[in-house]
Amino acid sequence: MKRNHPYKKIVASLCLALACNTSFAADSTLDLSLPAASASPKSFMLASNDTQPASVSSAAPKAEFSEPWVSGDKLHQYMGWTTLALVAATAFSAPGEGCEVNCPPPSQQPPRQTNGAHAKLAKAAAFMAAATVTSGLIDHWDDFHMEDGFTDPDNLHAMLGTAGALMMMYAVNKSANSKVPVSHAGIAELGGVAMAVAVKLTW
Amino acid sequence: MLKKFKLIALLSSALFLTNTAFAGETTADWLLSFERMKNFKSVTDKTYAKECGECHFAYPAGLLPSASWEKLLNATALKNHFGDNAEMDAATLERVLDYATNNAAEKSWYKRARKIANSGQAPLRITELRYIKRVHEEIPANMIKDNKDVKSLSMCNACHTQAAKGVFDSDTVNIPNFPDYN
Repeated sequence: MKRNHPYKKIVASLCLALACNTSFAADSTLDLSLPAASASPKSFMLASNDTQPASVSSAAPKAEFSEPWVSGDKLHQYMGWTTLALVAATAFSAPGEGCEVNCPPPSQQPPRQTNGAHAKLAKAAAFMAAATVTSGLIDHWDDFHMEDGFTDPDNLHAMLGTAGALMMMYAVNKSANSKVPVSHAGIAELGGVAMAVAVKLTW
Repeated sequence: MLKKFKLIALLSSALFLTNTAFAGETTADWLLSFERMKNFKSVTDKTYAKECGECHFAYPAGLLPSASWEKLLNATALKNHFGDNAEMDAATLERVLDYATNNAAEKSWYKRARKIANSGQAPLRITELRYIKRVHEEIPANMIKDNKDVKSLSMCNACHTQAAKGVFDSDTVNIPNFPDYN
């Protein structure tokens, strides 16, 4: 018996909404540029730990600087978005195969489809999740510290992201190694939600 | 299926509970916002920007907890503001203090502000925050203190090219005289 899973679409929509979000908070920024050195000749050492006074004229970067298109941080970010997009695509492509209520014996059930779009997308999502976690560990190793405690957003991001990737890999492995339909959607969806929350925490 | 939803609800509840300390903006505001909140809220108050920015970079209020701002922004303390007289009239001071404390680290959902609030520290200097020290500890002295175009860690916008927008990502760092730093 085929069952509908409307919550899958809700979860997938949430993931897509997060992944598609590119808005920034800079629109209402005031012009905070410093006055020219000649307008305020006195030196200051506000909030400085140094004994040497710093002059106003040293504050502004001299050369034009453009942010790099590709960096470790951006790569991690793009991979995270890709993971969420793959999770959403996997959820949408779920065939609803298998029987969960009043099922015939496994020998009488049709053969499982283990190489369809859903399976391929699930494997890609799990692989991308693992790659995202690895890139995060490499690029942001200095950002999470146990001394910051459990509620630190970077610590939560790392824990939830890793847990999410592990849950997805477990779900893929569980399904791929079973000859009969096996429940794996719950753990996979929980993994996807964990990754989405991890992204939101440090977005 | 019910078990699944119970687990998700439990996870979400745990997440919300861990964050109730940062309730300046509500949990729902933060959760439903698509605004990027990775760094600090940029300065939005004109009086604060003008009064502080006349002499130095107007630091985002989320860089310090309200306890620090209260120690810094009072009539007595401003008479000797790290070696300078930074007095202002009572009405202006009240407005500046209100803005700073209402947007202080513990009242912000912005990630780096939350990290500062989590530390429990309330120093007078931003450069004494454990988090700020840690993220700059590997940068050699010749890039900051001995760099004629920087001179001090307090000169945030000397290297952080988008500091005025509240953005302090490593990708936006450009250390003067060290173009290949990144």
